[in-house]
Amino acid sequence: MRFPGARRPTLLQAQRWAGTLTAIFAFVACAVSGEMGAVMVTLFPLALAGASLGGARFRGRAQWAWTALLGGALLIFAAQVLAGHLDVVLAAALFAELLCIHRLWHRRSGRDEVILLLLSLLLLCAGAALAAELAFGFAFLAFAVSGTWALALTHLRSAIEAGRGPAGSAALLDSRRIATPALFAGLAALALAGIAGAAVVFFAFPRVTIGGLRRTSRHAPVAGLGDRVDLSQHGTVADDPRVALRVRLDPEPEGGPRDLAMHWRARTLSHWTGQGWRSQGAAIPAMRLPQRGPGRPSAVLGADIEIVGSFADGVVLTPEGWPVSVDFRRPGSPRPPAQRLYRNGAGDLFYQPVDGNDLRYFVAVDRDEPDLQALRGRGGQYPPWLAPDLEVPALDARVQALAQRLGGGKDPADAVAAIERWLGTALRYTRELPGEVADPVADFLFVRRAGHCELFSSAMVLMLRSLGIPARNVTGYFGGRRTGAGYYAVRAGDAHSWVEVYFPGAGFVRFDPTPASARGSAQEGLRARAVLLWDGLQQRWRAFIVEYDLITQARAMRRIAQLVDETGRRLAGKGNAPGGRARVTAMVLAVVLIGAGVIVLLRRWGGRRQRRGSFALTADQERAVRLWRVARTMLRRSGMETAPATTPRELARRMPAAGEVAVLYSDARWGFSPLSASTARAALKRLRAALREQVATDRAA
Amino acid sequence: MTPAWKRRLAFTRMGRWYTGLTIGIGLAATNTGNNLLFLVLGLLLASIIVSGILSEQTLKGVHLERRLPAVATAGQPALIGLRARNGKSRAPSFSLEIRERGGDVAGHGFLVVLPARESGEVAYRFVPQRRGLHRFRQLEIATRAPFGLFEKSRPLDVPGEMVVFPRAVPAPPLSAQALARAGEQPEDRIGAGLEVHSLRDHRPGEDSRSIHWKSTARAGRLIAVDREQERRRRICVVLDQRRLRGEALERAVEQAASLVVRELEGGAEVSLAVAGDFLAAGSGEAHRCAALRLLALLEERGADAAPPRPEAEAAVIEVRE
Repeated sequence: MRFPGARRPTLLQAQRWAGTLTAIFAFVACAVSGEMGAVMVTLFPLALAGASLGGARFRGRAQWAWTALLGGALLIFAAQVLAGHLDVVLAAALFAELLCIHRLWHRRSGRDEVILLLLSLLLLCAGAALAAELAFGFAFLAFAVSGTWALALTHLRSAIEAGRGPAGSAALLDSRRIATPALFAGLAALALAGIAGAAVVFFAFPRVTIGGLRRTSRHAPVAGLGDRVDLSQHGTVADDPRVALRVRLDPEPEGGPRDLAMHWRARTLSHWTGQGWRSQGAAIPAMRLPQRGPGRPSAVLGADIEIVGSFADGVVLTPEGWPVSVDFRRPGSPRPPAQRLYRNGAGDLFYQPVDGNDLRYFVAVDRDEPDLQALRGRGGQYPPWLAPDLEVPALDARVQALAQRLGGGKDPADAVAAIERWLGTALRYTRELPGEVADPVADFLFVRRAGHCELFSSAMVLMLRSLGIPARNVTGYFGGRRTGAGYYAVRAGDAHSWVEVYFPGAGFVRFDPTPASARGSAQEGLRARAVLLWDGLQQRWRAFIVEYDLITQARAMRRIAQLVDETGRRLAGKGNAPGGRARVTAMVLAVVLIGAGVIVLLRRWGGRRQRRGSFALTADQERAVRLWRVARTMLRRSGMETAPATTPRELARRMPAAGEVAVLYSDARWGFSPLSASTARAALKRLRAALREQVATDRAA
Repeated sequence: MTPAWKRRLAFTRMGRWYTGLTIGIGLAATNTGNNLLFLVLGLLLASIIVSGILSEQTLKGVHLERRLPAVATAGQPALIGLRARNGKSRAPSFSLEIRERGGDVAGHGFLVVLPARESGEVAYRFVPQRRGLHRFRQLEIATRAPFGLFEKSRPLDVPGEMVVFPRAVPAPPLSAQALARAGEQPEDRIGAGLEVHSLRDHRPGEDSRSIHWKSTARAGRLIAVDREQERRRRICVVLDQRRLRGEALERAVEQAASLVVRELEGGAEVSLAVAGDFLAAGSGEAHRCAALRLLALLEERGADAAPPRPEAEAAVIEVRE
């Protein structure tokens, strides 16, 4: 670590910087929730800059003004909370921010620094209650490191001030030799140890919750696919890299492709407005979804779908195929889901309530769809409820003529295939929007001969309807990019539009006239990758941290127990032998004990080597040291206390009984005189006898 | 003997707040089931654990010894040194407070850092208020490192004793009788005094400074002079403490001490006679310390104790209440 100006900071500077950093990261942890409001978010950096530039000038002044301001703010927040205009946690966070700002402007003593750290901790807690974002995680990590610095340095400062007094501490506090890079690195390592400990506590702490005061979720603005399409817009279709859906498929697609070629159906738009489409028909609660036909579905695909909160507009997105079931219940959760399923006449699925939060559900679809051969020869007799999908608006004559040319007189299946093929090959895909034109479809087909997916699908629907074939426009997403977190990310830029055509006995069948290479988005840029990377991290954060609950914990513990069992069986070499866990436990204990023994031996060996390295003792000297230790122990046991600093000669003067041992020790240890084991033993024997005699005399006296 | 493993743990003010917050956050986390609060709780608990481990590491392997001053006098400041040695091979110890515990003396010193395998020394100022024996029992080494949340301390047996000499007060003036006997007294034998004892022939090899030049000039040969042996003034300070109690005894001891010091500084040989004890005449720094030590440890005696026995050949100065 190199500090500006190539000079190390003084201890006082380093301590203040660490405290400031801690407050900043606590504020960031709170601010990433997005609930604090622009004013309060802007206020903190401004106040911080003000405190850094001119804080010293105002320190300790106009306290009454600060008190009045804080008191006023407290009253306002309390009134808003009581009136129900402000969440109590948010109010607490805002007030903690104001207190932090106040303390940043008044940092005079070590006590102020301690209060600032405690306020920062409160702010972090408020952030934990407000935000569940990954950004909080990064702020938390930064807080853990800077907080460790700040705590340790603040303690050091307080200890120096208390231990040496104001005058004596000044030199140390202004010293540039204490806050060294090594100290910061050591403290950072300490913080890492703290984070590791936090992880252990986090995963092992029993997740038994009372659930008394749960904070309600905030409502966020939603940007879904919408229930209408306007083809007369200006500009360019933007490539939005934001993730709209996260999908896990069961079974996984073969080969685990990077890009998924899958239509994610949102809703149908049947009514032509002249400039686009709109949906029709109200949805009613659906207890069970209608089956496609008799018999069990043969090819069921399960999709675990998570709609990102900002795209969750009440529509249930389904993968290609006939939806068999939709389940909003979280696997393993005993609670009933809050959402209910609805279905409209067109078969679109919806849910209520829409709360702006991410929605996760499991949908199963029957992917067994008839091919073109199977669709041929089904005739042109359609039920009356298909009237909206046969509705032909006032069309440009050329559109009708083109439809006739491509599909007139053919079997409906062949006509559909021909029109789809022609559109996909004769026309070009572009993201440029046509702008306001009288007939966007005619303009697309005969003037520009290029357009985006909605124009392709709209043209096909209108051409089919002009031939008397029921068809409708469908919106949704196409694609999905595999992420490192094990799910497919469908992004906002993957929004797509295609066609469903009705065939008697087969129902609506999907056709997509947009050229295959132009479907979905073309997002390969740095930003798109960064968004995907961030989303992947966010998912891991949510999976392992935010949504870690009692069920997950129990599952993880069971998994650990299973692993232990399996390991035990493998070690025992028996497939299903009982007592595997006990065996592993015994082995782990044995390994721990052996490890501890090795560590103790290594330390002893290291210590001895170190002692020998610094001043190697001869055998006689070591014997003298041992003799001296034993003699002192004997003296102590006989009630003769000796201070550690007592020299042998002093001891000999005070206690004549120890005179011989003292002389032997001094001569051998420091005078390099020989000392045999027998001599030492004899001296000890005589000392013991003398001490006994002395103790007896004392008792008699 | 205090076992080496014994530790004392106390909350600091910040530690109390920190622990209170931790409990509060724990309750909030349990109540709401908010995992991020559990995460914060984990960090706080882990910090407490890390703090405990590091404070233990800081105290471990630190050896203490006390350095007592050679001389301490009641009412005058004395510096007592506290020496700490870090016996660990790698880990330094931080923020060490070393303080007296359990003895007659209170004092403490603070070491910011004690590097591995090094020693550090701090001293505290101690003003003894009474004479006599001051006992030291234990030294307590305490640390609040690394975060100042808790104070962990470890007592170490470092017994010691310090004899504090009586308070220095102005010595009482001498009586006329005593003054009359003051000064060196010649003895009728050859010595190294100033007075002339006899004249004789100078012996070859003898120190030329012994030549008496006037007589040499008169006699025409080398004449040497022998000088008289001079005996130093002998004073015996007598203190009969048999009837003295409390403050009266203290005042008498202080006067006796001041008399001893004054007479020794004046070049006399001083003996000290107290009830039940006697210090033979002597001079020099060692004798001064011995006399003051005797006075420092002087205790009340009953009427049946042996009376003081003044030295017969010395001028007696008796200390009265």
